[in-house]
Amino acid sequence: MSRNKLYLVLILLITAGYCWLGWSLTQTTHNINFTPCPIKNITGIACPSCGSTRSVSQIIQGNFADAFMLNPFGYIIALAMLIGPIWLLFDLISKKDTLHRGYHKFEQTLKIKWIAIVLILLTLANWAWNIYKGL
Amino acid sequence: MDTQKVDLFMMINGKYFKAEHLNYIREKLLGIDETKWNRIMALDFKDPNSIMLVSLIGPGALGVDRFLIGETGTGVAKLLTCGGLGIWTIIDWFIIMDLTRDKNMEKLQAYL
Repeated sequence: MSRNKLYLVLILLITAGYCWLGWSLTQTTHNINFTPCPIKNITGIACPSCGSTRSVSQIIQGNFADAFMLNPFGYIIALAMLIGPIWLLFDLISKKDTLHRGYHKFEQTLKIKWIAIVLILLTLANWAWNIYKGL
Repeated sequence: MDTQKVDLFMMINGKYFKAEHLNYIREKLLGIDETKWNRIMALDFKDPNSIMLVSLIGPGALGVDRFLIGETGTGVAKLLTCGGLGIWTIIDWFIIMDLTRDKNMEKLQAYL
């Protein structure tokens, strides 16, 4: 993916992420019936990342243990949403492509076989845990 | 490369590329060295139709379609966000076939 296209996608993703997070934080009465997740809507079973919005909002409130018990993916998302915009702005202002190169290095790392297998197994384990918790 | 081999390649692999790229690929293949033939024939292209099928059924929402064509970075993003809150999943139904063809072109481009 070219630099500008990647940055456009990232800006869209991060903006959408913050809008979604902001909207769900304003919902004081927890509306459990609404979920945007297509897998949960169709099958009724949680997907590997179901519960990550709740997890991120727990992190914001400082309940780190609760956040981990809800869905460990929340930590990855919170980290990406914290570092992403700063890194993106730094690149856009200084007209560099450090994030683009970092992204490619990240993609290459994920394609290493044993790393991919470990990550897939962790995701599957998290999925099983999600279903067990009934998120 | 001689015309016969190029025609054979185009016949077998033509469906993996965008129509507007076919002429360019043909001309480039005619111009390159014979020794690259074996390596080009051994390239593993992804079939846009099967990727589309993966995108339409369950795994598409988990980003599996993107992992399959080598877009690991966006695949992870799609997985972590429940298929982009379901919206990205639907967008991908429409763009994944062209994205697959672009990825195939990228793969071939390294040898042209």
